[in-house]
This record gives sequence, C-alpha cells and structure tokens, in this order.
Amino acid sequence: MFGIENLRKTFLAPGGVIVNAVDGISIGIETGKLVTLLGPSGCGKTTTLRCLAGLERPEAGRIVIADETVCDTDKGIFVSPSDRGIGMVFQSYAIWPHMTVFENVAFPLRVARDRKYSSAEIRDKVGRALDMVRMSGFESRPATQLSGGQQQRLAFARGLVREPQILLLDEPLSNLDAKLREQMRVELKRLQKRLGVTTVYVTHDQSEALALSDEIAVFNAGKIIQRGTPQDIYRHPKSQFVADFIGSANFLAGTVKDVNATDHVALVDTQHGLFRCSVGQSIAAGQPVLVSARPEDFVLYDKAPGEGLNVLAGKIAHRVFLGEVVDYLVDTGHGEIRVRAKPEFDFAVGQTVSVGVAPQKCVALPA
Amino acid sequence: MSLAQARLGTRSALAHAAWLRPRNLALAICVVIAGWLVFVPLAALLYTAFTEDTGFGPGPASLQNFVEAYSSWHIVRLFGNSAIFAAGTALLTLLMGALVAWVVERTDAPGGPLFHSLALLSFAIPGLLTAMAWIFVLSPNIGWVNALLKSAFGLQDAPLSIYTMGGMIWALSSHYFPLAYLTLGPALRVLDVRMEEAALVSGARYWQVMPKITLPLLRPAILSTLLLLFMLGMSSYEVPRLIGRPARIEVFTTDIQAATNNAPPEFGLASALSFTLLCICVIAVFFYRRSTRNAEAFATITGKGYMPTRIKLGRWRWLVAMAIGLLFAISLGLPLLTLVWQSFYRNLAQPFLGSTSTASLENYQFILHYPIFLNAVKTSVLLATMAATLVVLLTFVMAWIALRAVPRSGWVLDSLAFTPIAIPHVIIGAAVLFAYLMLPIPVYNTIWILLIAYVTLYLPYGMRFISSGLVQIHKELEESAEVSGARARQVFMRILLPLLLPVLLAAWIYVFVLAVRELAASVFLVGPGTHVLGTISLTMWEEGGSYGAVSALGVIQILPLVFIVAGLRWLELRVQRRSEAAAAKAQAG
Repeated sequence: MFGIENLRKTFLAPGGVIVNAVDGISIGIETGKLVTLLGPSGCGKTTTLRCLAGLERPEAGRIVIADETVCDTDKGIFVSPSDRGIGMVFQSYAIWPHMTVFENVAFPLRVARDRKYSSAEIRDKVGRALDMVRMSGFESRPATQLSGGQQQRLAFARGLVREPQILLLDEPLSNLDAKLREQMRVELKRLQKRLGVTTVYVTHDQSEALALSDEIAVFNAGKIIQRGTPQDIYRHPKSQFVADFIGSANFLAGTVKDVNATDHVALVDTQHGLFRCSVGQSIAAGQPVLVSARPEDFVLYDKAPGEGLNVLAGKIAHRVFLGEVVDYLVDTGHGEIRVRAKPEFDFAVGQTVSVGVAPQKCVALPA
Repeated sequence: MSLAQARLGTRSALAHAAWLRPRNLALAICVVIAGWLVFVPLAALLYTAFTEDTGFGPGPASLQNFVEAYSSWHIVRLFGNSAIFAAGTALLTLLMGALVAWVVERTDAPGGPLFHSLALLSFAIPGLLTAMAWIFVLSPNIGWVNALLKSAFGLQDAPLSIYTMGGMIWALSSHYFPLAYLTLGPALRVLDVRMEEAALVSGARYWQVMPKITLPLLRPAILSTLLLLFMLGMSSYEVPRLIGRPARIEVFTTDIQAATNNAPPEFGLASALSFTLLCICVIAVFFYRRSTRNAEAFATITGKGYMPTRIKLGRWRWLVAMAIGLLFAISLGLPLLTLVWQSFYRNLAQPFLGSTSTASLENYQFILHYPIFLNAVKTSVLLATMAATLVVLLTFVMAWIALRAVPRSGWVLDSLAFTPIAIPHVIIGAAVLFAYLMLPIPVYNTIWILLIAYVTLYLPYGMRFISSGLVQIHKELEESAEVSGARARQVFMRILLPLLLPVLLAAWIYVFVLAVRELAASVFLVGPGTHVLGTISLTMWEEGGSYGAVSALGVIQILPLVFIVAGLRWLELRVQRRSEAAAAKAQAG
C-alpha cells in the first residue's frame, strides 16, 4: 500500500504571504504502477514529491510507503528521508562530483543501516545497476566527465541500486535536449515495467506524462483536479484547465439546449451553430458551457462534408508548415479555430473551407 | 483504501517539537556566539562613551566625554584630516585601480595574469611595513630618492616629503590600489559588450561609447568601490601612525589609540571619538549597500557565452603593458626592494648607490636570536592558527544554517557575521578592551583577548568565502545522499566536507594571513607577554631599533606571507582550471 492522505504544506513567500503549496492532497498509488504528478510550475507537484521523500515536513497529512506509515502529523510521526527506503532522481541529477561513477552508485549500499554489504556484494549490485542503465564500463570514470544523458542514467542506477520500495523522479528528463529526452522516455518506461518498481513521476511536460504513465494526477494550485489514465485524461478532460494543459484545445462558448442523460450526449448552441458533444454528469440543460475540441480532431474540407459531423464554415487565415503536420487558423467570422491537418491535403491562405469534427471528439465543459 | 490501517514501522520516530530540532538549536547557539562577539564590545563602547570617565571605569550617565572631545578646535582638524586623507586615498586608489582594471580587462595588452597575481600578492604585505618602506624611500632626511634628487639637481632641501598629507595618501594608495583593481575588474569583465555594440551600430563612435554607455553602466561599481575605499581610508591605522603622527597630521584612528595610551588613560574620550568614527563608517556602509543594491538593477550580467570586445592596441600594447608594469614596480617594487636592500646593512643604505662591501646577514642573525621576536612569532602564529580555525568552523556552521537548514531565519546570521566589516579595527580593539575590563572574564593581558578580537574581525571574511562556496554546491547533492540512506553525519563527512574543502582551506589561509598582519586592533590588546609581530615591529621602529634590524624584521614577516598567498593563488587557479576542464568535457560528451 502506498499513498498520501490530506497532505498540507504551506510556505512563507517573500512579503509574508502564506502560500498553500499543497492544499489537502490525497492519492493512492497502486504497487508496481507509474503515477505521474502533472501540472504547471508552482502547482505543488514537486512539494508533494518532496514530502513523500521526507525532504519537506508537511503541516498536516499522512504518508504511507510500502505498508508503513512514514509520516502522520496527528500521531507526531516523521521518518527521516534516510530511513524511508526510497530511490530518487533529482532534476539536477545531483551526481556527486568528487566520486567516480562506481562510488556514486555504491554510496547507498555503503551507508545502508539495515544490513552490511560485503565489497563483493557491492561490486555485484553496482555492476548490475550500471548494466541496467547501459553504463557498464564507466565504473572508474570521474563523475564530472559524463555527458548530461550519462549523468542522468547514472542517477537512475544510484536510485535503483538498493532496490527501493518506491522510486521518486523529479523532472528527470527536463535537462536533456529534445531528441535524447524522447529516447530516454522509452528506456525509462521499459525499465520501470521490467523492474515493476512503484514509481512517482513529477513533470510539467504533458507529452512525457501521456507517454509514460499508468495514471496521471493533474495538479493545479495545490490541488489534484483530475485523475485517470492518459487516454481518459486526454479524451475526457473534466475542466477547461485540464483540456488546455494536456494537449491543446479549441474552446467554443455556448449554452446547453438539450441533454440525453443515458448516452451522455448534449446539444450545445454556440455562435458557430449547434454542436453535438459528449458531456459529464453534472451538465444540465440551460447551463453555459465551453465546447472543447482538439485541433487534430478537426478535418478540413473544400466542400460541405457528409452527415454526422459538427460543421463550421470559414476561411483559412494562417498556415504554418511543420513537416509532419500543417497547422491552420480558420476564421469562422466568430473567432479563429486551430486545426492540425496532414500535409497531404494542402489548403491555401484565403481559401474558403468547411471544418468538421465528430461529436464524440467534442466535450462540453462547465464554463 | 484507508491509509490509517498501515502499520507503524520499526523505524518510525516521533517528531521533535520544532524548537528542539537540532538545526534550530544550532541556529540559536550560533546567534548567541556571533551576537556576543559583535554586540558585547559595541555595548561596552557605547556604555563607556555615554557615562562619566572616573578613571576607575565608567560612572553615571553623562555626555562629558563628547563635550571633551568636541569642545576644542582639535576636533575640526580631526574631521578635516581624516576626510581629506580618506577621500584623497579613495580617489587616487580608484584612479590607479581603474587604469589597471581597464588595461587588463578591456584591452589586448599582455601581462593580465601576472598583474592579477601581483595584485593578490600585495595582500600579503603588512601595511606597517609598506609605510616603513616609504619612509626609507621618501623621507626628507633619510629617503634615498630625495638624496638622489638632491645630488642630481644640486638642491639644498629635499624636494619630496612623505611627512605630508600627500605623502600619506600616496603611501596608502600604493598599497590599496590592487584592491580597487580587484573590485572593479569583475564589473568591467561582465559588462555586457552587447550594450556597447548596440551603441556602435546605432552610429556612435568608440570615444562616444565610453562616456555615454560604458561609464554610466559602471557608475554603481565605481561608486561602491569609492565608498569601500573611503571606509578603508577612514579605518586605516598604520600609515597615520608611522607617517601622520611624526608629521602632526592626526586622524581619528591615531587619536583614539593615543587617548587610551595616555597616562592616565582617557577611555571616555577614546570611546567618544570611536563613536564618532563608527557613525561615519556606518553611514558609508549604508550608502555602500545602497549602491551595490542598485548595481543589481543595472543587471549588466546577462549570462555566459560572450567575450568582451577588447580594444586592439596594436603596437601600443607592449608599451601599455610596460606602463602598468611600471606602476606596480613603483608602488610595490620600490618600497619592497628598499626594505630588502636595507635589511642587509646595519646603517642607512641606498639601493644600488652605495658600495655593497658592508652587506651582511648580521641583521638577520640579530633578529633570529632576539627572544622578544621569537616570542612574537610564536604568539602571532598561534593566534592566527586559532583565529583562522575558529572563524572557519563558526562561519561554516553559520553559513550552512543560513543557507540550508533554516533559510527563513538565515538572514539573522548573515547580518550578524557581516556587522564587523563596518567597524574599523581600531574600534574593535578599543571596544574589546573596554568590554573585558568591565566583564568578570579574566582575559585581559592574555592572548585570549586578542583571539576574541581576531575572531570578531574576520567573521565577515570567513562568512563571505564559505557562503559563496556553499551556494555553488547544489542543495540536491546533499538531499540525494539523504534519500540514499545517509545519516546527517554521513552526509556531512562524505558529501559536504569533501566538496567544500578547497573553499574551507582558502578561507583558512586568507584569515591566517590577515591575522598575522594585524596591528590596529592588537595595539590595544597586547600585554607585556603577548606581543605579536605587528606590535613588536612598531615598537622596534618607534623605540629606535637600527634601520637594518627593523628591515630584516619586516622581510622575515613578508617572505612567508608572500609564499602562502602565492600558494593560495596556485590552489585557486588549479581548482578553477579543473572545474572548467570538467565542464568542457561534459559539454563535449
């Protein structure tokens, strides 16, 4: 059992303002899964992770790691970070510059208190950890003579070497360049699945979260505002914030005309015409809503498309060629719609077009 | 799922109450120690100043001391002399320092690293010995340059005299200008060249860029350097004592010391004068802090990866380098050479002029068998060792607490540790004397009272070295050790200490060198058995030791200090090169 209950942490910001960095967060984490805490900077995700590690003391809350209560403010329990049996990878990697690669990885074993490791055992375990991150052969290299990607892998080996109960990752890929980041993302996912280690991953990068996670918890202003699988979060955002933060979305303001409760389908009256959308449970007729639809779900037609789609008419106002895709801004007369299309069907600026989007790809969110 | 069902592990510990946590206790202890060191002497000084001087310690509250200090015309002369001396020194020093900084940082003249090393080496030379050496060079009676000029031009009187206000300003400036270079250099180096280039592409000529862009951008740096130098001039003691006193040019520092040395000692008068000088310094520090704060608003440092455009001097570059070399030769080389030369002769000797047949090592033999000197060496080295160790230990703990453990309250420790920088050594010497004469702590006339003063004096230096070193060690390096399972002690011994060792070593050596050179506070605190190198040299000079013996005494002090500072510079360069190489390698990898 892993989890956090009613976690609260405040900071004193400059000027004496009290900031609720973490404002009553609860989250259960299934053993062996990778859970991502996703949110913009300052949303409380890193503070939550640091509370899990024991690097911050929460004002209130309970934290359980591997069936053991490591923090309970009601009972006055606080287990120091060195006793929590965790592995952690920091944003800066925090590779100790005065040690070799081997010594960096061996450190957690050398300071271990639950048992004493013989030097043969240490050599064996360090060797396996380095092998896991494909860093064998670097043992005697001074840690300062590693590239960013190598430092990052070394940090993983160090975090994993004593087979931690839980692996905490604080934006571990954010300091790598784009290409390397994508490659490391795949490696990381594979490694985590293979080892089956329970992992909490903090990031502000939504594509990273979508690619890696079993479950995503979206943070904003110290609170978790939505939890779910990557598909769930992407397809069924429950608020404008989530729809906007994960991927990008067009928002069309409107009013609900009619709701079909059994199918979760609603008819929304927008400036661009009537839209059929899927809705959550709390939406009722007469309510003002925002219809959210992703740019890649729109399709451009040079003549009116067939039945079954929500259709808008407009003119191409702007075109950006990005290689794999082309981004268009379509002026509908009531505003601009972002559309992402395949480059095979090219449209020119000024051309009159129809824009279609399937009803199941539109979500009505409370405005 | 309810987390409440989770078991309490065997490793679960009850959390301490907030104030009982070790780091908060450590903070409290540091505040008490540093607060004691800084505020007890100041309190004693104020108490002495604002009470009646009975001759047997302070009496009832009164302003009698200030009446005494301010009721004669002497105070006007004191203000005038001190202000002219400090302002003159600040201006001349700035001019010389800025010239060196500009040539080294903004032109392609060769010799930059050499000049930088020379500037650092000048720190090793005690101020007392520079003053002495300038007397050998420029005194109307015994100065060899005067003798040379007299015979060359057939003059009756000496054309130059060190015993004037101008002479005092020159003697101090020649010693302090490397400091002005060292503070202005970085400002010139990081000045974003793009701002100058923007002016150039806007159509300005280079000679227009200088007054319209470069100088205004540097104004905060220049202003803060001027204020710093003014403060140093106000606090300086060695030059006023050796040159100003015989010339009857009294300033605050010498008058304060003289008052405590009168028979009977006038502690009340001394503390009233100290209070006045302290106010001047506090005002200067206030403006200094304000000007450095404004400096940040100018934000000329915009990151790495740019090279300042250096002015191409063409065939002038060697000439310019030689001019700077000449400046160093005249201001540092000339007095040092004179001192060394004199140390080989019993009687007055003129470098390169007289015959070398009477040269001998007699003076050195005398000094090295002179028991008072040997005792002073022992006392000075012991004191400097203890002071450096205590300062480094104390400021290490203080810096760590201020930056890491309780960053919210860290500013308290920071300001405490930096307070002594605003207080002239003379005042600290006097204040520590007053404090421990009043307190029932028997340190008077022992080396412990000197140690207390030294630790107070050098707290700011230790703090600056170590906190800037600690800032460069990313907090996550310690945190990752902690989550790896290391106890606080292991984090300290295996991570923090090895990483910070070069900085600690540098801070230790720096404080050691400063403490060995110390004179201004020591003159108040030495007793019959506790003379230090500075006071023994002063006594020997004023009580008529032979010129040769005094010079030998000086050379013996300078040599080891020069070696230590050179070693420090070497260490610094090595660390710098290693980290640069590592960064470059990682970048390439």
